[in-house]
Amino acid sequence: MDSFSSPSSGSSSSTFSTEEFMDQLKTQLAQAYAEEFLETVRGKCFEKCITKPGSSLSSSESSCISRCVERYIEATGIISRALFSAPH
Amino acid sequence: MDASSLNSAELQRLISQEKERAMMNEMVAKLTSACWDKCITSTPGSKFSSSESTCLSNCAQRYMDMSILIMKRFQSMQ
Repeated sequence: MDSFSSPSSGSSSSTFSTEEFMDQLKTQLAQAYAEEFLETVRGKCFEKCITKPGSSLSSSESSCISRCVERYIEATGIISRALFSAPH
Repeated sequence: MDASSLNSAELQRLISQEKERAMMNEMVAKLTSACWDKCITSTPGSKFSSSESTCLSNCAQRYMDMSILIMKRFQSMQ
């Protein structure tokens, strides 16, 4: 996606408002963060749940994966709270 | 694109603010990964045990303690 060269809607000038720039920066950062997070979760849950790959994904593997994803998200919250809001 | 429009002090401030936020996210992601490996040794259940969540919390806080210790150690070498 070449979002920085796309003209802003409703304006013929080539200037780019600070607000537009920051919106795009935030969107792209959030996208990068989400991709990285997904990749990490895939790695962790594959390690935990698919210990012996069979010819198809078993139901116990699927339920392990959904628990694993939930727990990983919860763990992220615990770590975040421990770093930023716990008294030292 | 007019480059001068990207040079305002306001924009610089917003960018460094985002940079800081990104660094914090990065830190949380890195620690979650490391502490998950240390603390979650069994197959993930439908709920964390209290020892698992305590371990995660301690893990993050001890990492911060360690960082401070290492920083002090390096400062004393100069």
